[in-house]
Amino acid sequence: MSVTRRGFLSRLGAPGGAALDATVDGRLIAARGLEAESAEAWQQAGGRRGGPPAAPREGQPPSIRISSNENPIGPGQAVLDAIVAQFGEAGRYPFNAKVGDRKLVETIAALHKVKPENVLLGAGSQEILKTAVWGFTSPARHLVTASPTFENATGTARRMGHPVVEIKVDSQFRLDLEGMLTTVRGAGLVFVNNPNNPTATVHSAKTITDFVERVRRISPDTVILIDEAYHEYVTDPAYETAIPLAMATPNVFVARTFSKAYGMAGMRIGYAIGGGDTIKPLARLGMPYNISVLGVAAAIAALGDPKHMEAERTRNTEVRNFTQKALEDLGCKCTASQANFLFVEVGRTAAEFRSGCAAQGVQVGRDFPPFEGSHARISLGTMAEMQKATAVFRDVLRPANGTGGGGREEAPC
Amino acid sequence: MLTRRKFVETVGIGAAGALTSSWIGARGREDATWNALSPSLEASSQAMSVIPLSSNENPFGPSAAVLDAIKKAFGPEGATPGRYSNATGALRDTLSKSLGVTSENLTLGCGSTQILRTATHVYTSRTKALVGTIPTYEECAGYAAMLGHPVRAVSLGRDFQMDLERMATAAKGSGLVFYCNPNNPVATYTGATATRDFIARVHRISPETTILVDEAYFEYVTHPDHQSMIPVALEDPRIVVARTFSKAYGMAGLRLGYAVGHPDAIRKMSEWDSGSGTSSLNVLALHAGVAALEQGPAFVEAERARNKAARDFTTKWFADRGMKSTESHANFMFVNVGVPAKQFRDGCMAKGVRVGRDFPPFENAWCRISLGTMDEMKRAVTVFGEVLGKPSAIAAA
Repeated sequence: MSVTRRGFLSRLGAPGGAALDATVDGRLIAARGLEAESAEAWQQAGGRRGGPPAAPREGQPPSIRISSNENPIGPGQAVLDAIVAQFGEAGRYPFNAKVGDRKLVETIAALHKVKPENVLLGAGSQEILKTAVWGFTSPARHLVTASPTFENATGTARRMGHPVVEIKVDSQFRLDLEGMLTTVRGAGLVFVNNPNNPTATVHSAKTITDFVERVRRISPDTVILIDEAYHEYVTDPAYETAIPLAMATPNVFVARTFSKAYGMAGMRIGYAIGGGDTIKPLARLGMPYNISVLGVAAAIAALGDPKHMEAERTRNTEVRNFTQKALEDLGCKCTASQANFLFVEVGRTAAEFRSGCAAQGVQVGRDFPPFEGSHARISLGTMAEMQKATAVFRDVLRPANGTGGGGREEAPC
Repeated sequence: MLTRRKFVETVGIGAAGALTSSWIGARGREDATWNALSPSLEASSQAMSVIPLSSNENPFGPSAAVLDAIKKAFGPEGATPGRYSNATGALRDTLSKSLGVTSENLTLGCGSTQILRTATHVYTSRTKALVGTIPTYEECAGYAAMLGHPVRAVSLGRDFQMDLERMATAAKGSGLVFYCNPNNPVATYTGATATRDFIARVHRISPETTILVDEAYFEYVTHPDHQSMIPVALEDPRIVVARTFSKAYGMAGLRLGYAVGHPDAIRKMSEWDSGSGTSSLNVLALHAGVAALEQGPAFVEAERARNKAARDFTTKWFADRGMKSTESHANFMFVNVGVPAKQFRDGCMAKGVRVGRDFPPFENAWCRISLGTMDEMKRAVTVFGEVLGKPSAIAAA
């Protein structure tokens, strides 16, 4: 290990830890807004109680919410039917219901060919992430994460006053695993979001396996959390789930969610999978009765209806290809997306792009420092929504801002 | 005074290890007993359709209005569950109106479980103990013990009432008093005047201590001095009230609870919960919560009356056979069955009735029995009679 690295790492022990935050833009925290919080903000900005968000202006087309990487189709009829079929158990605690939370754990375990003790349910994978930060980091054991990445782990560590090291993504907007490796010694937890939200890129199974091996060599006590929230949307054949790796490797576990391809963001169900010795300390901290009995029935039905999820993957790939091409035709570069959203160079601040789109009823993603000056995250809606949205993008990305009709050509981003 | 203080120290500190370990050992959240059931018993319970009187649930579940609201929440294309919830605001608005508070007085939780854990997290530490009765609902004590925060367990007083004097003394220098009223599992209720006096007393003795008043069973109380502590909490950041939709509203499976308090207390709790406070709540529960509240006070009154009828019936059945129960103000009873709870429980289970787990230090003679429907209780007392060798004329009729 080089002197520079050691010098950098030695600062981890320094009181205050302010130096660690050198790579962090202070705005990251201000802007962190979890997906749920941005949904709330959207509601406050004009959304109606319980219904779809209201159109921002009279006479505008209905609003399109492509800001939170949600699945626009939802969970499918089999899941809705299962929820209704479970109504009779809605007054029972999840451990008492005829189809109870243990049944869901067993179903997930069977799907991944692991034992129930290798599975921990979370109220969304967010609870898993939060619990992992709580359980595995401390004032003396830092979190290693990326910038930008899903901010839940980062925000949790900061609230607890645990040090955070953020490594900026590489030139192709992939997690800079080499950079992360230089900071893992003595870390409590390494957060690896694969595919990475918001940059949409993936690393191959081989790269992840190599990374895990090297972390283990440098810092065997460090826990590695591989968040595969967008797993089902990946089409790159070099990618594979890290679940077998987690099962074979101490201190490694995978987080999954029903919020994305299974179309159940509103149901709040995620899970962790890993070796018993890794899952046990997490389970100890996890919240009891965290999954509703309706969520239990919904998730079991979703796993029993893989065709719905596969159709969603196909649909998403088509919409992704269409939207990416439309944006590239406008001169906007997109990262290599393997998820249900795009990370797009819009040639202006995300805030400017966002407010331009919002004025025409299209809600796109929040700021993602350090790229908020040039990039926006655009979630993928339905094909019909994206056809409308791309027309709005064309208008917003026009230098004279459309309505003035300045007669200028469509400018590249 | 000296004697009392000494006693509290014994109960609270000297014996805390022993008490806490039995407390925690038995705490097993509501489900621990059932996870430990042998597979054969589990299989037989499914085969014969057990009457569940073990977890203080509402036997009717959510009302039709609530279930309709859940179906509506699917949205026209059934796509809404695919979205992150945008209904937290609606529930907070409805709740604010219903309670006569503002939104900054409220934080929502994944059941009151989350509220109890958050309060314990925020208000106890390695030097600031949790104080509670023994027995009481174990979530706070279990969580504090897991964190390595000290727990002071105070014995109950006469008639299974909280011993407020001992509690107040034990509260000195503590971080949080868990004040479960009605108290689970013993079902007794402390009147509002006595509670307010207790709060004032704790704050004279220990101005930094927060009191968490758990009103999970509030709607079932039929005591003449029955008032919520919400008005007190709104004025004082050292009082927090926990509530749940799991009991009177029949929504235990939906996981929705809340805390009401002074904005400073709510802010402190939300800070720890931020990122999981609202993100742990499922969208169907949020819509269900709005619909539950919109039923108005008449719904709660009817549910209270329904529960009281089943409670009176069951209390009389035991009393007629010389078995004492505590004065219940909840949807469960604590009954001296004269045999170890485990023996009674296993006997009932073999006949298709599931009653409550062990509650030390009373597990040798007392059992917690949740109240089902009147019809279920009529069937259950027949079983109780058979198990206890006290055949029932009423049940046979």
